[in-house]
Parts: sequence; structure tokens; C-alpha cells
Amino acid sequence: MTYPTDEEHPLLVLEDYRIGFNTERGLAKAVDGVSLTLKRGQTLGIVGESGSGKTVLNRGVIGLLAARNTVESGSAKFEGEELVGENRQAFWGTKMAMIFQDPMTSLNPVMKVGNQVMEPLRQHQKLSKSEAKKRVADIFTLVGIPEPIKRLDQYPHELSGGMRQRVMISIALAIEPDLLIADEPTTSLDVTVQKYILDLLTRVQKEQGMSMVLITHDLGVARGRADEILVMYGGRVMEHAPTEDLFEKMSHPYTSALFSSIPHLHHKKHTRLTPIPGTPPDIVEPPTGCRFAPRCTYAQEICLLESPPMTQEGNHRYACFFPIGIQQGQEALTTNQQRGHTASGLQIQKKAEAI
Amino acid sequence: MRRAIKRLLGLGLLLTVISMVTFAAMNILGDPLFNILGPIAGDVDNPESVKIIEEAKEQYYLDKSLPERYARWAGDFVTGDFGVRFSATGQPPVTDLIKERFPRTLQLMIMAQLIAVGLAIPWAVTAASRANSKTDKTSTVTAFAFVSLPNFALAVILFYVFSIRLDWLPDVYTATDPFWGFTHNHRLIQNLLPALTLGLGGAAAYQRLLRTDLITTLQEDFILMARSKGVSRRKVLYKHALRPSLFSLITVLAINISYMIGGALVVETFFRIPGLGTAVVEAVLREDFPVVLAIVMIVATAFMVFNYLADLLYGVIDPRVRTNEKESTPIFRSLWKSQTNLEAEEKINDETVEVSS
Repeated sequence: MTYPTDEEHPLLVLEDYRIGFNTERGLAKAVDGVSLTLKRGQTLGIVGESGSGKTVLNRGVIGLLAARNTVESGSAKFEGEELVGENRQAFWGTKMAMIFQDPMTSLNPVMKVGNQVMEPLRQHQKLSKSEAKKRVADIFTLVGIPEPIKRLDQYPHELSGGMRQRVMISIALAIEPDLLIADEPTTSLDVTVQKYILDLLTRVQKEQGMSMVLITHDLGVARGRADEILVMYGGRVMEHAPTEDLFEKMSHPYTSALFSSIPHLHHKKHTRLTPIPGTPPDIVEPPTGCRFAPRCTYAQEICLLESPPMTQEGNHRYACFFPIGIQQGQEALTTNQQRGHTASGLQIQKKAEAI
Repeated sequence: MRRAIKRLLGLGLLLTVISMVTFAAMNILGDPLFNILGPIAGDVDNPESVKIIEEAKEQYYLDKSLPERYARWAGDFVTGDFGVRFSATGQPPVTDLIKERFPRTLQLMIMAQLIAVGLAIPWAVTAASRANSKTDKTSTVTAFAFVSLPNFALAVILFYVFSIRLDWLPDVYTATDPFWGFTHNHRLIQNLLPALTLGLGGAAAYQRLLRTDLITTLQEDFILMARSKGVSRRKVLYKHALRPSLFSLITVLAINISYMIGGALVVETFFRIPGLGTAVVEAVLREDFPVVLAIVMIVATAFMVFNYLADLLYGVIDPRVRTNEKESTPIFRSLWKSQTNLEAEEKINDETVEVSS
């Protein structure tokens, strides 16, 4: 039976998906009950700061984590097929592809780039060497690598960072995957190249009709490129909404804090950015209650005691007792501002203003 | 080309210095006359003995000054003549002795290194791919056992098991037997046990080195990338991880080979192989300086040559090492530059010619 490929049947469905690592201190819950649905041809942006579990989530789904010491549970269905507990090697290089963060270290330094792109084609699609070469040259042209024939025989160190990232994208695109996971694809590139690479990815993703997961710590990168955005913190989903909804009506204090911590074009000169106080939570012994509560300016007593349930409003969902934009949220913030600290004892400073 | 010449000049200079130091040291420390003439050498009161001593001194140029003797030796050495032995007959000449013994040692050394590397690579890959697992821990213990087991002990064990008990391998080495062949009367088979004795210890040492480097390489992003492309586990290990992990192994291999060129005394003695190792010990004990000097020169040359080969090999393994040498020589260029690059370059050259004409 072939899996239906229409838009009604989502490509990837996660339900209460969990990944833990056995450590000496105990189980590190890197991904703690994530549920999501990725439709065909859609782009999902996963946003969160370092250590929020976004990379582990995706490597877990694709099955690239070392099996030893890793505990996976819940459900992850790819094209209707359960992945948890199964070997996913059959999908690698055929239906799933991954673009890594650092093009400087993600290409084999002692192999010609042409061979590295050809490898999965030769292996999975059984193309002859000349067929594969022709395909790779076409893809190099597609991703904007000049002189594609000459590049085939070059080594990674002979190419610039942007070129290498284009080679990486070629590797992923060559196999025409159903699911493309781009893990911070532009973080290590300079700004001028970033936009080109991101535009390229979105364009090819639309052309080939594949689904993409775009992992980033920069909400601005996800904006305009992702159809939906999922905000993660401490291994949990904080907020998940269609991109426009999210920016229109940011509900979770964490999303808002993340957004305030990056510069924006409409900022006046010398605007001070608002950093999020504190550090990401300990995932071996996470705080009871909301994971973000210790760093949240909205936190009340209940946030420290109970995990907020997921509130669903149409396509928009968030896990917070005192979301922004409704009365409870506003009251919570006012209470904290009046007493000068939050329920967890975090000092509240006067909101920073332009100097 | 300039690089190769520089290297060659370096080799010449090094050999000159080493030979001078060795030559001087040996002539200052000992009295070769005693070995040539026996007790007569000390009988300086007897005019007849003195006459013999004088004659011998003249024959072996011992009456000349040290620099003159060195110059004479160096002149002969350059033409491939290692001189006359300091023994009663002076026969066979050092050159003949080396010609007879060196191939035996070389054959043994090559076989031992082939065994060592041939075992070490799959052993290290298996261990590294399951780092810290039970397999890896067992293999580490085994490796340490082989590294710490002295040659002579391993030789006795192997000899007892494979030669005496099982009788699979011959127990005698006959220097006059032909080398290439697969019966007990061929030295290829007779060499197996001594080569195994040397090779097992080497394999264990190489395995330790390669395993560590492989574990480091396996944590690189490009390994994850290769896996995500669906490349099989075996191919990831042998095609992607092994090559960039070979540097330390090659470095140590070059040193080890050069060292073993000087002979493996314990193993040669135990298995009664008349090779360079036994020759050098005999020569040192009898103060037969020309022989010692010849072997010192062979070892020194081997060090230079094998380290140069190792440098070349680094470039073959890792393209990033090549860049500096690209402009060196046409031979190197054809080796290092891909054919397409060359063709493209030729095209450009042709075009420039056309334009200029």
C-alpha cells in the first residue's frame, strides 16, 4: 500500500514524543512530550534558545542519535509509519535529508565535493557515475554554484563558507526528500550569504513540494519563511501557531521575551535589547511547574507548582496560565511589578527605554 | 622540484654528520687492532710482533690521522664500497656482508609491518565504532597484553604452539632456501612466525593509536552527515572516517619501519635468522667498526627516506596538506591535481595563446 500524498494526510505526526539521555545524575529529559503535525509541502519553524531541545528533537525523529543511552518514547509517525523503536536507516538519503549548522565541519575534508553529493544518488538510486555527475552539475546550477563541472572535483577547503553550505544543500536536495530538516542552516554564515541561502531553501522547498523543518534561534529567520512556528523551551512546546497569528498575537511570555531579545529594524538607534534573565533549566531535574517560570516576569505561585496545560485557540496553542493579551496575563504582570519581584523571586527591573 | 632538492641536500648533510660522529666515536673508544691480530696486538715488546702490528696498521690505514681515514672511508662509501672488516681475514668485505644480510631483515620487516597494519586497521575500526562497549574494553585489554608482552616471550609461545604442537609452520630458517613459495622450504613461510612475533606487538600499538584518532573523527559533523545520507555503517567507517584518521599511524609507522631496518635482534636470534640485527651485535662486540658504521648509515638513510615518504603520504590522504606543494614539480602536479583541473588549465593556456597570436 502506498501512502497517500495529498495534503490531508500529514507527513509527520508527533504525539507526546519524548527523548531522554541516561546520565550519571539521572535521565536528562531533552525532549519532554512534544506533539506536532507537519503537512506536506509546508515549512515548520522550530525556535528556541540553545539547549531548548530543538536539535535533539529533530535528530531523534530522523534517528541520528546514538542508540546507546538514549531513551525514546511516545509516538512519531512518518507517512503513517511509526518511527519510535524502529530503525530509520531506510529513510536516510531517500525520504529524509538533513542540512547541518556548520558547513565548515559537515563536509568530509578529504573527499571531493562532487563525490559527496553523488554518494547517496549512486547508492540509493543506482545511478551510473556519468548520470550522477550530470545530476549533481544540474543541482549545483540550481543552488547557484558557478562553474559546476569544475566544482565537482574540488575539495571542501577550496570553497568558501557560502559555497560549502550550497554543497550541503545540494546533498540534501539531490535525493529529492519528502522531509528536509535544516538545523540552523545559516548560523555560521555571514549576513549577506544568510539571506541568499534561506531564500534558496524556501524556493527549492516550494518547487520540489517537500516539507521542511527549519530550526533556528532567530524568530526573524523563521518569520516569512515558515508556515507555522513552534517555540520550544526546556524540551517542551511553549507556543505553536501559524506564523502570522504568532506575530500578531504573541501569547506566551517566553515567545515575547525571545522576540524582545533580538534587534529589529524598526528599533530606534541605541535601543537596548531586553535579555532574558537566567539560564535554561536543568533538564535532569527540571523545575516543577512551568519550565520557564523561574525566568518569567509573569510568574505567579501556581506557575511554580503546576505545569500549565496546552490551551488551544483554533490553530494557535500555548502552554501558559497567564498569557499575554488577556486580562489574567496583564494582572499577573502588574502584580509582579507592584511587588518588585515574581513568584520565583526574580527581581523585576523597570522596562528598559531608549537612552 | 626545489623542495625535493632541498630535502635531498638535507639527507646528504645529515648522513655526513652522523657518519662523522659515529666514525669518530668508534675510533676513539676502541682498539680495532686487537680484533684483527688477536693477542699479538698487545705484544709491543717483541720486535716481530711490532712488525706485524705496523703492517696491519698500514693495511687498515690505522696509521693515518682520523680525518684522513674518514675521508678515505667517505670516498669509498659514496661509490658503494663499505670498506674492509676489522677481522683477522677482513673477509667478506662489508658490502658483501650487508648485501647478504640486509634482504633477510628487509623481508622480515615488510612481512611484520604488513601483518601489524593489516591487523591494526580492522581491529581499531571495530573497537572505535563501539567505543567503550564490552568489545572495545576486551580489545583494549588484549592490546595492552600484546604491547607489554616482551618479544622473546611471545616468540616462545608462538613457536611452541604453531611449530612444535600444531606443526603448521617450520621450525628452522634456512638462509639458502628460495624466498617466494608456499612450502616449508621457502623462506616466506619460514618467516611467518618471526614476522608474527614482531607484527602482533606492532598491531597492538598501532591499534591504540588508530582507535583514539578514529574516535575523534567519528565525532565530527561530517560523519553524522554521511550517516544522514544513508551511507552504510561499514562505508562510513572505512570510506569516511578511516582516511582522515591515519596521520598518527603513518607517522609512527615511518619511525617504526626505519627502526626495524636496523634488524630485530631478539627475534632474529631466537629464530636463528642471520640478519642485520645479529650482524650489528656481533660487530659491536668485536669492535668491527666498518660493519657497525654501514648499518648505522642504512638506518639513518631509512629514517630520512621513510619520513619523506610519510610526508608525501600525508598529502595523498589529505588534500589540505597539498596546497603548499602544488607549484613544486610537473610530476607532483599530475599526481595531485585532478585531470579535469589540468585540462581546464590547458584550455585556458591554449586560449591565451590563440588570443596573443
